[in-house]
Amino acid sequence: MNNIKLKINGRIYEVKVEKNYTLLYVLRDMLDITGPKEGCGTGDCGACKVLIDGQALNACTTLAVKCEGKEIITIEGIADGPNLHPIQESFVEKGAVQCGFCTPGMVISAKALLDQNPKPTRDEIKKALNNNLCRCTGYVKIVDAIEDAAQKMRGDNHE
Amino acid sequence: MSKDLRIIGGSQPIFDAYNKVTGKTCYTGDMKLKNMLYGKLVLSTKAHARVVSIDSSEAEKLEGVVAIATPFNTSNKKYNSALRFADHDIPQTETVFSEIVRFVGDRVCAVAAIDQKVADKAAKLIRVEYEELPAVLSVEEAIEEEAVQLHDNVNNRLNDIKNQVGDVEKGFAEADHIFEDEYRTPIVSPMALENHVSIADYDEQGKLTIYSSTQNAFAVRNIISAVFNLPQSKVRIVKPTLGGAFGSKIPAVLEGPAAALSMMTHRPVKIDLTRKENLIASRTRHGSIVRLKTGVMKDGTIVAQQYNVLTNTGAYVGSAYNVIGAMSHKVFKTYKIPNMLYVGTPVLTNLPIAGAMRGYGSPQAIFAQQRQLHAISVRLEIDIVTLQRKNLIRPEDVDLEKVGNPRPLDCMERGLELFDWSVKNKWKLNKKEENNSNLRQEHRDSGRNNKRGIGFAIGCHGNGVYGAHRDFVGLRLKLNDDGTMVFESGTHDMGNSLITSQMMILAEELGLEVEDIAVVESDTDLTPWNLGDYSSRGVFVTGAACIKLAGIMREKLLLLASAMLEEAEENLQLQEGKKIISASGKEVSFADLLLYSHRELQEDVMVSTSYGSQAGRTSFGAHFAQVEVDEEQGTVRLLDYVAVHDVGQAINRLSLEGQLEGGIQMGLGYALSEKMEFDEQGRLKNSNLKKYKMFKASMMPDIKLDFIEEGEVPGPFGGKSIGECATVPVAPAIVNAVADALGFDFHCMPHDAEGLLEIVGCES
Repeated sequence: MNNIKLKINGRIYEVKVEKNYTLLYVLRDMLDITGPKEGCGTGDCGACKVLIDGQALNACTTLAVKCEGKEIITIEGIADGPNLHPIQESFVEKGAVQCGFCTPGMVISAKALLDQNPKPTRDEIKKALNNNLCRCTGYVKIVDAIEDAAQKMRGDNHE
Repeated sequence: MSKDLRIIGGSQPIFDAYNKVTGKTCYTGDMKLKNMLYGKLVLSTKAHARVVSIDSSEAEKLEGVVAIATPFNTSNKKYNSALRFADHDIPQTETVFSEIVRFVGDRVCAVAAIDQKVADKAAKLIRVEYEELPAVLSVEEAIEEEAVQLHDNVNNRLNDIKNQVGDVEKGFAEADHIFEDEYRTPIVSPMALENHVSIADYDEQGKLTIYSSTQNAFAVRNIISAVFNLPQSKVRIVKPTLGGAFGSKIPAVLEGPAAALSMMTHRPVKIDLTRKENLIASRTRHGSIVRLKTGVMKDGTIVAQQYNVLTNTGAYVGSAYNVIGAMSHKVFKTYKIPNMLYVGTPVLTNLPIAGAMRGYGSPQAIFAQQRQLHAISVRLEIDIVTLQRKNLIRPEDVDLEKVGNPRPLDCMERGLELFDWSVKNKWKLNKKEENNSNLRQEHRDSGRNNKRGIGFAIGCHGNGVYGAHRDFVGLRLKLNDDGTMVFESGTHDMGNSLITSQMMILAEELGLEVEDIAVVESDTDLTPWNLGDYSSRGVFVTGAACIKLAGIMREKLLLLASAMLEEAEENLQLQEGKKIISASGKEVSFADLLLYSHRELQEDVMVSTSYGSQAGRTSFGAHFAQVEVDEEQGTVRLLDYVAVHDVGQAINRLSLEGQLEGGIQMGLGYALSEKMEFDEQGRLKNSNLKKYKMFKASMMPDIKLDFIEEGEVPGPFGGKSIGECATVPVAPAIVNAVADALGFDFHCMPHDAEGLLEIVGCES
């Protein structure tokens, strides 16, 4: 067992982990941070995505011990208190949420994209979601929502 | 609609969207009960075998292992996991754990431990000794005379389901042309992103509470109560938020094993399947072989059609009859064919259990129907649009009382416009005239090996199970002190906005805002009885029930207002803003009415009702696709996609579009990327999401949608279903377009580039 410190959503957590514990196991099973979901456990569906130093990564294939000293943001850390982040707001308004199981990962991927590319094309948005699977929406309204959020975040007028 | 609608037809985000975008929603897998144990199933590694012994000694030595449930220490009472109601008479072949395992993935035993890691480790240490039996891995093998039989109470070849109209033999005798084709559809996975998960909590007073990812809480209660011999007062099934379902969560899957472990330990036990386990140990879509014989006159009029269908229903009876029975109705809905015969037969094989999946029999049969019609158009050189127009059912041709308002033709005509079919088709007809300057560049083949094609298909699906068996729902509505309300619905929202739609209907009818309604969802101890959410009944049946419920509440409020304001009821009107006004200008709020009732009558304001479906109605959709096929690589690129659906009346436009877009994605996977493939030992070869390929965002075409809203009585505000119908026309539309591009007559899905090349190579 190793004692490690993880910085998650701005707070430091001390946990005792084996070397092979995934970040997702530590988040969900040890720390009760259950926003990130396990849809596959093999890094294929993206439901567990979290931001690690600004990059959207699958927590199910990331070892917890490798995350020491890094900034981890989960879906729980995206909103500003009760105020939704523009991406979350657009997901609600544009109907991008159905069952919601892929949503945490989708929002995280969208956040990573828009932080780096504030004005993505639809194709760039789709490409950024290629490691996120959704079975409900056909992605259409998710892409719409990210386009809408990008506009809001840039302060552009709405069409 | 004569009435001005305030909420209905608008766009309302799903009611729990805020919690879903913030990660606050608690799905079953997110729950952690006090003293909870973690379960792990041991699944069969053999396709067919007798379990001789289970050696758990090594597992028991592991620190943290608390219990091991096996077929030898757990109830072996047989049940049918797809039971719908207590007296549903369907063959019982399943048990909680299997002494004879019948597919790779069958439940052998389960372990409960203090955490998931210990449970996983312990499960690996359990040694199962098998005595192997011969296995049948295909429908053809399973129905051979000398084939090994899977069960002793039913044959592999289950009973035929027949349905007919007119005299099919007479029709064939009259026909100018007879076409006979055999179509095959693959086994695919419903693949809800949330895997199946259940937590059973058997307490010291003998009460068993199960939190489960289920679409059918009341039926699961029947099964669990029978299997463990518990009165229903001691069994409670609760459905937390569902992370998708698509039919796969109708049957009882994990509730039995979790309950067995909890009853042994008197502690809560959670079993949460991994993706790999979920692929083999939950449910699949039936693979099928559809033999289709169609008699056509020279002018394209279809005079007779016969379906002979075999479905691969996997190792246990489950939904075998439900699915093939549903299919037996759907093939009759779209065309006015005077002579038809349908014979469907489910077949048991040593493969994972097939069950319900979005479309419920339609995708298989309609693939054959629409593919063959396209082929007939090519063979007879009759334009496909002409052929469809000649045969499609029209509202003026039918008995409105019996059939309602079927609008497949309107869907097709609107789709042709949106898709710009005539322009795309003109190019096709002039294909050989390479120099025709009037042709639009975008419709040409883009390279030597890149062939473009267009195709469309029309699909249908039902609205509830009217005529098949009981189809009713119970609902309750309570008024709060401030005039807001609590709605108790047994509905299982799967992300498809059923609850949101029901809230919208109540709000529209009672002058409330959607936010004025709180909902208690699907809990067998708290909500009225529910048949389960399947067969696209959530809007058509439960939505109509909401109108009835709102009417009763309105009556009750008007009665109270009449007493309170001393005005005749006919002078009173319920108004937007939770109030009632009188013709003379008096006004009373719902809150005051409640206080009046409490104070003066000492009565709560609470209404409940039951509503039985009044009719069987059909939803239709027409889908159009333009594709470009790389003849050398076998890849299919989607260039354009149009879908138009007959929905009667939009209830929630946002969810209507979302359901349709999601249905299209699922259908695209069915046609072009998804298939469960098994090896010669019955093991799934593509058991993860790398190898089992769902459509990704970048693979999706741009989609144009539209809706035909011509009303459907007795749907709520004239509304009918979309959820399942959305996925039905997709695969045949795509394959028709691919067939058009290559000039090749497909009898199955291409699946992927390799599959396409193999099909085209083998058959040409």
